[in-house]
Amino acid sequence: MKLVCSRDALAEALAIAGSVVISRTPAPVLLCLKLETKDGLLFISATDTEIGLLLGVAEVDVREEGVALIPADKLNQIVRASNDDSLSIEVSKNIATITGRDSKFKVFGFDPEEFPGVPTFDTDDFEFETNCNTFRRLIGRTVFATAVENSRYAINGVLIERIGRNLRLVATDGRRLAVARGECTTNAEEDLTSIVPTKALNVLNRLMNDPDEPVRIRRNRNQILFQVGSGPGAPVLSSNLVEGSFPPFEDVIPKDQDKKVHFKTVELASAVRRAALLTNEESKGVRLAFADGTLTLSSRAPEMGEAEIKIETEEYSGDPIEIGFNPSYLTEGLKHADSETILIELKAPNKPGVIKVGTDFTYVVMPVNLG
Amino acid sequence: MPIRRLAPSVVNQIAAGEVVERPASVVKEVLENAFDAGARRVDIEITGGGRDFIRIADDGAGIPADELALAVEAHATSKIESVADLEKVSTMGFRGEALASIASVSRFALESRTQNSDEAWRIEVTDGVIGSPAPTAGPPGTRVEVRNLFHTVPARRRFLKSETAESARIAEVVRLLALARPTIGFRLVSNGRCLLDLPATDDPRRRIVGVLGEELDGRLIEVRGEIGSPADGTLTSVWGLVGLPETARPTAKNQRFILNGRAITDRSLSHALKEGFRGLVEPGRHPVGVCYLEMNPARVDVNVHPAKTEVRFREARPLHGLVRHAVQEALQEADLVRNLTLKTKGDPSADESMASGRATIAHRMPPPGSGSGVGGASPSSPFSTSSSSWFREEREVARSRTASGVNLDRIREAIGDVPMPNAAPRQPITSAAEVLPTLVGSDAVLQVHQSFLVTQDAEGLVIIDQHALHERVMFEKLHDRCAAGPLESQRQLVPIVFDADPASIAALESLAPLLVRLGIDATAAGPRGVAIHGFPTLLLTRRVDPGPFLSELLERAAQGEIDRDDHEAALADVLDVMSCKAAVKAGDRLGEREIAELLAMRDRIDREGSCPHGRPTHLRIPIAELERRFGRSPA
Repeated sequence: MKLVCSRDALAEALAIAGSVVISRTPAPVLLCLKLETKDGLLFISATDTEIGLLLGVAEVDVREEGVALIPADKLNQIVRASNDDSLSIEVSKNIATITGRDSKFKVFGFDPEEFPGVPTFDTDDFEFETNCNTFRRLIGRTVFATAVENSRYAINGVLIERIGRNLRLVATDGRRLAVARGECTTNAEEDLTSIVPTKALNVLNRLMNDPDEPVRIRRNRNQILFQVGSGPGAPVLSSNLVEGSFPPFEDVIPKDQDKKVHFKTVELASAVRRAALLTNEESKGVRLAFADGTLTLSSRAPEMGEAEIKIETEEYSGDPIEIGFNPSYLTEGLKHADSETILIELKAPNKPGVIKVGTDFTYVVMPVNLG
Repeated sequence: MPIRRLAPSVVNQIAAGEVVERPASVVKEVLENAFDAGARRVDIEITGGGRDFIRIADDGAGIPADELALAVEAHATSKIESVADLEKVSTMGFRGEALASIASVSRFALESRTQNSDEAWRIEVTDGVIGSPAPTAGPPGTRVEVRNLFHTVPARRRFLKSETAESARIAEVVRLLALARPTIGFRLVSNGRCLLDLPATDDPRRRIVGVLGEELDGRLIEVRGEIGSPADGTLTSVWGLVGLPETARPTAKNQRFILNGRAITDRSLSHALKEGFRGLVEPGRHPVGVCYLEMNPARVDVNVHPAKTEVRFREARPLHGLVRHAVQEALQEADLVRNLTLKTKGDPSADESMASGRATIAHRMPPPGSGSGVGGASPSSPFSTSSSSWFREEREVARSRTASGVNLDRIREAIGDVPMPNAAPRQPITSAAEVLPTLVGSDAVLQVHQSFLVTQDAEGLVIIDQHALHERVMFEKLHDRCAAGPLESQRQLVPIVFDADPASIAALESLAPLLVRLGIDATAAGPRGVAIHGFPTLLLTRRVDPGPFLSELLERAAQGEIDRDDHEAALADVLDVMSCKAAVKAGDRLGEREIAELLAMRDRIDREGSCPHGRPTHLRIPIAELERRFGRSPA
């Protein structure tokens, strides 16, 4: 294999591919990226056995076809540190030689045959399609609410649900729940419900740079495949699905909240962040007191101090209520609401609070008993 | 067979079964008589484990010749006259059964001379037949001789243990009584060999060290307290000496309670002592100590059992509190940081360091043997040697814990994050960058191997186990926080449900009110499940998984490891588990701020000498020890 490649394009592709590779594994081939030339393009594949990524680099001049398996971190570091406009890569007998204007690196690789394959995506064969703008927003509004290393495996991922043209992404860690809605185009008759690991969606987010590009999605037995953009080099991300059943989330979205009030998102987020300044590990909660057209946020940490922030509420319907929340849950929800105003809905101090953006985003947060 | 009245000798033999169970009971009964007679010194001589021969001589008041015969008759006593006297018994014995019982099952002789008499008198009892007193030669005081004990009761004789076991029991009885009466000298000779020689002393400390072991010398702290008032006769006081936490033993054998001069066993008092040490002694270890309680005899019933080792208190609870608080207070004032001495194998000064350490530097050295002779240590790494010897002590702890049948190792395994120095070594630190310690702040605190903090205090170098200290700090903070109100609890959107056995569910039901205070809202979900509706934000922040946490907690409670009857004890038990789970672990890299916070919190808490599991949080290498090791001062 012999090629000359734009350094910038290669660095960008390697950075994304490198994020798939796991840093610690007993199998050295899993620390590698597979490079392969085909149809005048350089294809880079990476896998951690759960997630697979195949992406093409177009700014490349292929001099001699071939395939190679090179350790990801060294390749990445060499390319990132280079100050050349273009780099030449030549691979012979599993040794890659990367040559720049004033540099020459030899990196020992492995036999490409040992690399597990990553799936490809036939552009015409998709279940549904949306655009990067929509899908990015859906992922952004949910992925933060997934559980980290929870023993209930199913909530360590995001539920993707498509019923007809209606697309929903749902995530929960058992204490808050985020539901984001969007639309898609589809020809498939069968609906789709799958749980996708958080890591795959984070990688996907990095691939969706152009808001207008299409994202095509297809399920393949226990895998889900995403293709971003079109054309021969369009990146394909594949991921094993999370097994297990997602909690019955419809049941926990409250439908009879009687206290509703709108806020400017930025104003409320700022108030929550400031009130959170005087919380600590044992007293994490921020108290929200709604009454008389005012929302008072307060916090109190023993041996540290107290905070109080007041916001004028435009309208408030309902009796006064005091309710405690973990401020970081609120902040995260407000940050990803992606809207100028939000609606807060409450019912009782021991019942969930809801943040809503129209019908597109519903964020349910369980309160904290402030003790 | 027709009903008939039993002959007095038969009655005595039957009664003897109650009072005189084995040779040790004879020794106890006769010694108590000696105490009541005002003896200053007693000599006990036995052969054949007391089965063949027991001779007890005292220098007490003596028995007048004309009372000798009466002394060996049943229900004859000089100690009480009427039932009313029972209310205020202050003498050791009073039933008037002892000598008669003993005499009925042995070849018995009683010899006595009163202080102002010129001659001693002797009376012999053979097979229950009382002979006539005869004059004999002897010093003032009383001698009791018991030969061929139980020769008339072969059944009982068969039940006696080996000679060694019986003499051990006798020695135990003598030790116990010696603790109760430091001002009386004791000497015990068995088969011509002196087993115990305790000179009379006015300093109970010397007697306690003499009885419980020389290694306690300098490692005892004084406990003192009183409740009630002399006006209404409710005054109760406790004075005692308890061993520093590091002296705790695998059994409760070295816990003694002396009530009004009488050695007693009482579960509630043992519990109070243990509670006083809560958090300072590892599970499966028992604090060492002797507590002397003084109270109005009318407020305690010692007439529960002929052997009088069990008593009944009119009010047991205040007594429990008295002992617990006295112990707690004493421990809070004590400096519990363990001192370490450095030792290397083959070091010519090692023995001397032992000696000098004993005498000058450390009152609180690890027990002898724990530090010396550790094989395979390189002379160039004195520190690793001493730490490994320390860990060996820990290992012994672990072993004794397993032996005690409590499956704590499994629990620790389940908890998973308790650093076990004795377990397989942690993953080796691979990259050179990770080995570099972090130098923090102007107080120069080093974090070593992401597990230990090294700093100094006025006395020397201090090494802190970050997990153990943080656990202790957490425990104290949570404890204070709980007193102020329930812990903050994050409610669950969907309950977390896990499988539980009926015993765990029963434990949940009894613990539920306590758990609510701790921010855990859980209910039974069906016959074999538990649902968690709310969980403390603190634990969530620290990434504690609610399901496994509560499941384990309930299992522990079901196994009786959490005291469900005593609310405060249960709270402490649960907080133990919580703080352990929430604390930083060995191997966690700590930032400058975290270290500073941890050390700042340390200064605000009591007893930071040990983590809630009783392992030390701090070790100190005294500056004198460092100086000596570097040859800077004459040893």
